[in-house]
Amino acid sequence: MTPSQPKILIIIPAYNERANIRNTLKEIWALDVKTDVIVIDDGSKDATAQEARQAGAKVISLPFNLGIGGAVQTGFQFASQNDYDIAIQVDADGQHDVGYIRTILSPVLNNESDIVIGSRFMPQQEKGYRSSFARRLGIGFFVRLIGVLTGSLIYDPTSGFRAYNKKMIRIFARHYPHDFPEPEAIVLAGKFGAKIKELPVVMRKRQGGESSIRYLKSLYYMVKVTFAILLDMLKTRRLVEYGH
Amino acid sequence: MVIKWLALTLSMGIFLFVVELVRRERLTFKYAVGWLLACALAVFFSVFHNLLFAIAKFCRFELPSNFIFFVLLCVFVFLSLLLTVFLCQQNDRNDKMAKKIGIMEFELSELKTRIGQKQ
Repeated sequence: MTPSQPKILIIIPAYNERANIRNTLKEIWALDVKTDVIVIDDGSKDATAQEARQAGAKVISLPFNLGIGGAVQTGFQFASQNDYDIAIQVDADGQHDVGYIRTILSPVLNNESDIVIGSRFMPQQEKGYRSSFARRLGIGFFVRLIGVLTGSLIYDPTSGFRAYNKKMIRIFARHYPHDFPEPEAIVLAGKFGAKIKELPVVMRKRQGGESSIRYLKSLYYMVKVTFAILLDMLKTRRLVEYGH
Repeated sequence: MVIKWLALTLSMGIFLFVVELVRRERLTFKYAVGWLLACALAVFFSVFHNLLFAIAKFCRFELPSNFIFFVLLCVFVFLSLLLTVFLCQQNDRNDKMAKKIGIMEFELSELKTRIGQKQ
């Protein structure tokens, strides 16, 4: 890698994704984008870590389950410590079509944005898997809530398919929401003055295994995230000051 | 009079038990201080119970016992809130440590692989 080339890290948080991780990695290896890949095994009970290692990925195994926020933040901390310029977050379950990595990478590479979100719900975009009706209702609620509170219209605030520049890697290495982090991370990023862009991507149904947010947890998700977003709006500027 | 001695013995007993826990390093002073303060207050009001009755009357409590139960409830709510804060701090520290351990373990295995390859 020449010095002028940016260092790019793909962060894959994985919890009990043995059935999917190999395929996801295979798709990433097939890309013509030069990146490093780190799988954050979030205390899986199955052989996710072994499967990822066998597929050739570097794996950070957390000693116990921290939740998606903790796993992704571990990735940011690793990226920050190893001086990566760009981090891309990709789900392990195969929902994110990694073919779109180039799409979400481009505005960050060109310094147009600090965060780029791969979105399922932008107007007039190609339709792929768009989640269940109940989930879409929840997402709609967060679109409005974030819109009212921050003044920015994000069509898919729950999408975890994102690209971040160095500034955001450093910030999120220090401050990142614990559980169900995606909508809250947008509000936090806004507090740090981040430029956020959304680009249309097509997503797929999860390739195997089960989602971690089901039944009553969905209700808890709605309440927790709403409360967290409202509290984030009250946080002082002290949070904004960061230094490395 | 019997109640006075009972209250005094009980609060002194708990006070000494907390002190003993600190002495045996089963409790740190930071976490014991709330209990010690509550016990000290209980000892004080066991001795000067007339003051307790006066405060209860001043606060318009019908019976001094109602006032005592009210104060006890407040103390326990405050202590449990304080313990929840400590629990969250601990949880946060555990999370931070888990992330660091995960990264360090990875770096260690990378280092071992590199050293193995050199040899």
